Amino acid sequence: MRDFTLFIPEYIAIAGAIAILATELIWPKIRKDYLAYATAAGALGWLVAAIPYIGDTAGDFEGVLLADDFTTYFRILAAGIVMAIALISAHYMRDRTSTAGEYYGLLLVAGTGMVLMAASRELLTAYISLELLSFSLYILVGYFKRDRLSNEASLKYILLGAFSSAMLLYGISLIYGVTGTTSYEGIAEALAAREGGTDAATVVGIMLIVAGVGFKVSAAPFHMWAPDAYQGAPLPITAFLSTASKAAGFALILRLFTGALVVDAVEWRAVIAALAAITMTAGNLLAIQQSNLKRLVAYSSIGQVGYMLVAIAAIGYGDAATAESASSALLLHIVGYTVSTLALFTALTAHYNRTGDDTIAGLRGLAETQPFLALVITASLFSFAGLPFFAGFATKLLLFQASTTDGLLWLVGLAAANSFVSLYYYLMVMRQMYLFDPPEGQTRFRPAPLLGALAGLLLLGVLFIGVYPQPAFEATDRAASALFEVSASGLLRLP
Amino acid sequence: MAEHAWILAAVPGIAFIVMAALGRNLPRQGDWLAVLCATSIFGLFFAVLANFLNLGEAAWPVLNSIEWTAIGDFHLRMGIAVDQITIVMLAVITTVALMVNIFSVGYMKGEPRYWWYFAVLQLFVASMLMLVLADNLLLLYVAWELVGLSSFLLIGHYWERRSAVEAAKKAFITTRVGDVGLLIGIILFWEATGTFNILDIIHYVEEGAIGDTRLFVTMMFILLGAMGKSAQLPFHVWLPDAMEGPTPVSALIHAATMVVAGVYLVARMLPVFEAAGALDVVLVIGLLTALFSGVVAFAQTDIKKVLAYSTVSQLGFMFVALGAGYASAGMFHLFTHAFFKALLFLGAGSVIIGTHHHQEMGQLGGLWRKMPITAGTFLIGSLALAGLFPLAGFWSKDEILHAVEGQGTFFFFLISIAAIMTAFYTARLFVRTFLGKPRDEEVASHTRETGPVMTLPLVFLAFMSIVAGFFIFHDFGSAFGFPGGFSEFVFLHYPHAFHVDWGLVGLSTALFVIGTFGGAWFYWNGRLDRSTVMAEWQPKVYEMVQRKFYFDDLYQFLIDRVVLGFSYLVSWFDRFAVNDTGVDGSATMTGYAGFLLKHLQTGRVPNYAMAIAAGVVALTLLSLAVGS
Repeated sequence: MRDFTLFIPEYIAIAGAIAILATELIWPKIRKDYLAYATAAGALGWLVAAIPYIGDTAGDFEGVLLADDFTTYFRILAAGIVMAIALISAHYMRDRTSTAGEYYGLLLVAGTGMVLMAASRELLTAYISLELLSFSLYILVGYFKRDRLSNEASLKYILLGAFSSAMLLYGISLIYGVTGTTSYEGIAEALAAREGGTDAATVVGIMLIVAGVGFKVSAAPFHMWAPDAYQGAPLPITAFLSTASKAAGFALILRLFTGALVVDAVEWRAVIAALAAITMTAGNLLAIQQSNLKRLVAYSSIGQVGYMLVAIAAIGYGDAATAESASSALLLHIVGYTVSTLALFTALTAHYNRTGDDTIAGLRGLAETQPFLALVITASLFSFAGLPFFAGFATKLLLFQASTTDGLLWLVGLAAANSFVSLYYYLMVMRQMYLFDPPEGQTRFRPAPLLGALAGLLLLGVLFIGVYPQPAFEATDRAASALFEVSASGLLRLP
Repeated sequence: MAEHAWILAAVPGIAFIVMAALGRNLPRQGDWLAVLCATSIFGLFFAVLANFLNLGEAAWPVLNSIEWTAIGDFHLRMGIAVDQITIVMLAVITTVALMVNIFSVGYMKGEPRYWWYFAVLQLFVASMLMLVLADNLLLLYVAWELVGLSSFLLIGHYWERRSAVEAAKKAFITTRVGDVGLLIGIILFWEATGTFNILDIIHYVEEGAIGDTRLFVTMMFILLGAMGKSAQLPFHVWLPDAMEGPTPVSALIHAATMVVAGVYLVARMLPVFEAAGALDVVLVIGLLTALFSGVVAFAQTDIKKVLAYSTVSQLGFMFVALGAGYASAGMFHLFTHAFFKALLFLGAGSVIIGTHHHQEMGQLGGLWRKMPITAGTFLIGSLALAGLFPLAGFWSKDEILHAVEGQGTFFFFLISIAAIMTAFYTARLFVRTFLGKPRDEEVASHTRETGPVMTLPLVFLAFMSIVAGFFIFHDFGSAFGFPGGFSEFVFLHYPHAFHVDWGLVGLSTALFVIGTFGGAWFYWNGRLDRSTVMAEWQPKVYEMVQRKFYFDDLYQFLIDRVVLGFSYLVSWFDRFAVNDTGVDGSATMTGYAGFLLKHLQTGRVPNYAMAIAAGVVALTLLSLAVGS
């Protein structure tokens, strides 16, 4: 049925994007931070429009998109991320470019792509939504045309993105060849009805799809683009890459793996577990070696992806109840990770706007020149490391707890060891801020009130989730159970 | 309202956040916000009280909790429990906090970090209220640490002064020793019962869910925490040093509220102490503390130090009452003591401001003429502390004597001695500060009575010091919110109606007379300083008392020789065995692994693409190998 009312929030986002592009066309001299505020307002409208959908009955659109609590969850997340990134960008972009209409417009478009990825219940729609997000990101990463690093980052990202898209498409066509359908439910039914054991075509197809989405979330060994792209991209876009892009990838993975591939869990669960192990280890070990902040964040976020993949592996290993609680815990971890990352980047941007230095050593003495920013950075890094009272502790605890099944004990143990390693390089950053004197001539400064307030708000968010995770957990529970309502209706789990 | 009593703690909590963030930029640095906050919780308390009484006895304790978190099968609920003990604590905290906030506006005028002082004061009030409202030990522990933190911050408020820093550190570390005990106790309870909820724990214990020895050990750990906070022997050393903080802080935290947290904890868990057979321990510790600090108070020359030792001693009295099994007597003394000791501390603060920062009794004397309001209210506070009929301290001390009566003549004799000592050092304090001729003309010439913002709280607290004792009477108590009088309102197993025991009244008055007139006779003259007489007559004894029986020296010795000596040994092992081989070794390995991996990241696109392709092949092979 064509129920066009299902996606009203996204109409608002797209309308906002078009309006912002048009505004700059008509009025090129508009102050660029006004565009940022307009974007934030648009994202706020998007978020508010999404609220009535909470708890609404799942609505199907032509069998390709589904608006249920899971979609709504990512709607709110996407709108929140876009709003925060727009505010972070306001001064940063104003000081660096003369045209920002496309930048802010594409932020909204990318956010919409993220929601559609979460809403897709069919492989080709999922692919197109993913490309909608990716193409927006290619442009955003290379937004500084005259900056060599930005150019290099964008080019690498496009080439490798195209390469992995080709793999994803190849995987989709193989699955289509085996099952004769691209809808998740159809695939699940066809896989369940299949006679005889493993066939190579399905396995290869699934692996190619894993590579395609693994590239999107930057799981090792598909991660190599990430540090280069993160480093070259404008600072707020680095934040966007490490939050929206990853959240979207996991939205797609969750929908696809719980809805379609779960029947064939034996064929991919060991692979995902291995992928998780490699990703978290590689990410954390490589992070130790970095001297650039953005690259450090890139590798640390790769480590985080490794933890998140543990939950996906748990969906393959556990029974239905485990799968549901693991999905719920993963959604919670994504929120905690997103809020911490945004807090980190808000503070880093405030610092960068003043110093223009994105190395770790550039943070020297920040505790003296701007103690509040140092505090926010410290809190978000502690949250990444999973220290108590910060979001990362509660979310990681719930994630590992929900994912612990007999087959995965080793992986959870490895993840705990990796968290330990990660503390090392997070502490190295704090060491710069707290133990060293600021460079000559650096005096105490005040961050822009907008960034200061945003950082304070996000810091409260980090602490709130860390100390009292229950409200967030209830929201993710709702989203996860929506995910399984759909899959339970149409498909059967192999014994 | 009673089930929403958490609002009481939330208001100062929010005030703290606002004042910490904006305090410096607010008009008058936000002191009005502090007073407003204190006034509103004072008002809200009466709303809670009225609702609590309306609900009636059947609804007590009033409970309200939410599910905090659920991790697998582990459910953690957090909430509040309001019962009679809580109501008493709320009354004390909100009243004294209001008085202290008002007084501080005058006392802290022009002091450094004025806004921060008021902000932390709100943090303290919020955590203290949370402590007494908590329905479970975990939340109580969080609040317990938070009051410790605010105490630390306030003692060290003048951190430019080295002694203040040392005192703050000492208070924090000494109480920390007790706190670790408390934490161990809480964990032991959780292990045995699977819950942190205090009422559930009491219930389990009464059903005999925990073995005797184990229960006793657990209660000893809990008692450690209570002793640390309430400065009982041998943890008392931090409290006198804590006088380095601003004086209103001493009144609020180190006399009326935080230091009685230990008493509150013991009272709250008294049934468990009883079941564990640990009451005698509480009694003996309380008695030793009461006697010991009563003696030390003789030889102190600083007004605030005398009051500090007096507080320690009175806390000992409260422990004695609890140890005798009388929750009502302990809580009643806590209630009355809060008012008259807060009054005495604020009075001392008024003296300090009036004389431009002189607090050594050797430089004071004769302040009666210069500061009549302060002296008058101080006199009322002193008499209440010494136990003059019918002031507040008389009734509560009477209750304690009554409680100890059942414990045998020996204990009764000792507690009577402690009561005489109380009257004695109180008389000394008052005589030497306010009567006679000024010892230092220079100081006396500058002395002025303080303004109304400081004297009004004194007058109010003096009024409370007179009437607070009457809450013990049935009619008075009922009229003012403690139905049936204090001892029928707060009780352990069953209420006991209060009867005036005239024999005890006589004895108690005799103790007061002996102590007060003994002290007054000893110190009443402007001619010669009797404390030097004492020092010349028995220099060894005097020195021993003045140096607080060498407790601080003993601790210093233990820390210097034993702890540091052991720590050298451990640190050697740590440096060579743990650090160099274990930590550095694995760290180097990890770092080296990262270094090797780094070379895979070449920066060349074809290599990246190659990695993706190789990854797909490897994953496929893995899947085929595992799947078949």
